[in-house]
Amino acid sequence: MSDRKIFSVVGIFDSAQHLMNAIPDIRKRVNAPLEAYTPYPVEGLDKLLGHRKSPVGGMVLVMGIIGALSALGFELWTSGRDYPQVTAGKPLFSWEAFVPIMFEVTVLFAAFTAGLGMLLLLNRLPMFRHPMLRSSSLPLVTRDRFALAVEARGAEIDVEKITRLLQEFGAKSVEVVEEPAPAGVASPKFFLRTLTAIGIVCILAGFITYWTMKLFPIVKPMVHMLDQPRLNPQSPSRYFSDGSGMRMPVSGTVARGSVPYTIRNQELAGDLVNPLYRTETVLRQGRQAYMNNCSVCHGVLGDGKTSLTKAYGAKPANLVSQSIAGLPDGKLYHVIVAGKNAMASYSAELGEDERWATVHYLRVLQRAANARDEDIPK
Amino acid sequence: MKSGSTLTTAESTLQLLKPPSVVTGHLTIGGLDDQVLTPVGTKPPLAWFVAFSVTLSATLIGIALIAYTIATGIGVWGNNVPVAWAFDIINFVFWVGIGHAGTLISAILLLFRARWRNAISRFSEAMTIFAVICATLFPLIHVGRPWLAFWLAPYPNQRAIWPNFRSPLLWDVFAVNTYFLVSLLFWYIGLIPDLASLRDRTTNRVKKAVYTVLALGWRGASLHWHHYERAYLIIAGLATGLVLSVHSVVSFDFAVSLVPGWHMTIFPPYFVTGAIFAGFAMVVMAMVVVRKTMRLENLITDYHLEVMNKVILTCSCLMGYAYLLEGFTAWYSMNPYIHHTFMQYITGSYWWAGWLTITCNVLIPQLLWLRPIRRSYSGMILVAVAVTVGMWFERFVIIVSSLHQDFLPSSWQIYKPTFVDYGILLGSFGLFFTLVLLFARVLPVIATSEMKMVLPGSQPAHKGGRHE
Repeated sequence: MSDRKIFSVVGIFDSAQHLMNAIPDIRKRVNAPLEAYTPYPVEGLDKLLGHRKSPVGGMVLVMGIIGALSALGFELWTSGRDYPQVTAGKPLFSWEAFVPIMFEVTVLFAAFTAGLGMLLLLNRLPMFRHPMLRSSSLPLVTRDRFALAVEARGAEIDVEKITRLLQEFGAKSVEVVEEPAPAGVASPKFFLRTLTAIGIVCILAGFITYWTMKLFPIVKPMVHMLDQPRLNPQSPSRYFSDGSGMRMPVSGTVARGSVPYTIRNQELAGDLVNPLYRTETVLRQGRQAYMNNCSVCHGVLGDGKTSLTKAYGAKPANLVSQSIAGLPDGKLYHVIVAGKNAMASYSAELGEDERWATVHYLRVLQRAANARDEDIPK
Repeated sequence: MKSGSTLTTAESTLQLLKPPSVVTGHLTIGGLDDQVLTPVGTKPPLAWFVAFSVTLSATLIGIALIAYTIATGIGVWGNNVPVAWAFDIINFVFWVGIGHAGTLISAILLLFRARWRNAISRFSEAMTIFAVICATLFPLIHVGRPWLAFWLAPYPNQRAIWPNFRSPLLWDVFAVNTYFLVSLLFWYIGLIPDLASLRDRTTNRVKKAVYTVLALGWRGASLHWHHYERAYLIIAGLATGLVLSVHSVVSFDFAVSLVPGWHMTIFPPYFVTGAIFAGFAMVVMAMVVVRKTMRLENLITDYHLEVMNKVILTCSCLMGYAYLLEGFTAWYSMNPYIHHTFMQYITGSYWWAGWLTITCNVLIPQLLWLRPIRRSYSGMILVAVAVTVGMWFERFVIIVSSLHQDFLPSSWQIYKPTFVDYGILLGSFGLFFTLVLLFARVLPVIATSEMKMVLPGSQPAHKGGRHE
């Protein structure tokens, strides 16, 4: 016998009846915790060993209720509030239609609580280093024998007395089970080996995925709607006689909203008149256009101070300054169309109406930046 | 196979009423392990390889045709408006139904304390899992772009949209996935003690490592069994609700729509019964083969087969009632559309499918009233095959016959499946039996710890057990 600590003394019995007969007698004579090992659940054994009622039921009840409420809450929130869509004429908070999924989620939560709660929390499995797993008694137990273990749990126990007792009360053989030698899983070598193995698996998986995608490009991942039959700009087409996919407009016509802008000079543009009235709709349209296209450089207030300015060292104009506020509408319009200094043309991004609406909105910003006392509503 | 006793005294009648033993012959607890666990992981016989090559070929045909479908588009199938659902959904409902027997046997019969379930529960639970795998395949390929199927999951996304929780199709996604996960959990928890037995038996190092990890270090402590039994019972109770809900939800796919022939309140119980019916037929077929080839006649006894056949007979009568009630609803509702659809079932373009369904599901199983047929291999195989065919055609009738003549006569069409449809159906059968064959060789087909529990003399109450 080595000098390792003793975990338990295990007696092997031939039948469940023998085991259960022995337990009360041994309990009377030995003041140490008892545990039985059986190949299948034996009726009445848990009571005899004094196990308390299993708490699985309570755990399942709580988690089942949580599952039901979270499913119902989630469905009500997504379908009634975050993404309110009327389907089949049902009201938004149609809880009846949410019952099936609520039920399924409840069962899912409850069943996994029962299963994993029992395995992981109550039984503390997986456990590969329990001393019993190394004993020669366990193969007998998982087959057809019944073991009674008198456990030391750190304390000293009288091995010889217990051995004698177990044999006296019907144990066919007795084994002394020792605590396992320490270390093993937590050693640096083990970690290094595990990490290396994981690394190799990752690299292999990466290469396999890469070459599979490359060699068998049947399923292109994530192309979604990019991949469809269509003509891209500048791409050829055999449909038209000139071989080009792009068409010229019919000669002598102008598309709506695309009247060519012919003014070359900002000075000459001063005479242009804003064709839009200052209605609320127009101002909203102008704000939208300004926010989407201009605010990134000129700032949401039009003062030319944004984080982007700092990052690129550019100096966009302060649109609410007196000099720009004094310019006529046409000159502002010209800058949007033709660009100025570092600013490029925005004629592709903004249609004619949007440019004029933006000009109107600029006036709003300028007025707001230079507000007077009379502007405050009474 | 002894014929029934002809004794008529009161005592012998009582003797007949007592449930027979769950095993025949003398069997010790250790002997059970030797019988069930020894063949696990050994080299299979030649017949196994022959069967495996057949099922694997069928699977490969299915895989090739699924690849063809995905590469080309689901236009290669016969489905077209108005028959937008056809083989894909028929097969889906068919396979989900097959799965139901496993959960019924493992969960509901556990709650009823039917001890005969212990011998067949493991195998039928495995069949449940394989059948649900086959089933989920079909909606997945029917969406056309299966790699986008994750859109069905409610996850926060850039598009800021959520799935429609009021749609029965989404209920189905949740129901079938929950069913699969819970069945898998139930099956695995049942396997743990057996895996521990395998771990302690095997001498092969690789196998020992695999079984050690899978058994999670199970050591059969009484405290563990105490929690284990409680959890197992609770999961069984939950799975009972689940098995009733899953096929009900599948039936909602039809019943919640407005198609005549689908929009009926009888659908949920009608579908659940049909599912159990088809599932038991499949279990009987598999059990006959398993007990014969793996020499388990003493564990899966004639009594087991007879009880399962009685369940099939009961379900058959219920199915007959459901069919009659469909006709009654068509007549009593005085709704011309339902009437038209019902007449389509029995006299329309697909009349042969309607009558095949009634013959296979209602008429042929009536043979099981006769005890010799309940106990003869050829008799029960005939009925089981008939039920499998009949239940497949029942879904064909429900789906295709109802859809092919919709509200707009100008769009009426005759549905014709293509070779791809047939090939993928063949492939799903191949996949199912491939998985069953693999399972039969690498894991114990009988839940040994559950069987040990009910062997004579295993519990202390039975004084003077066989181990004296």
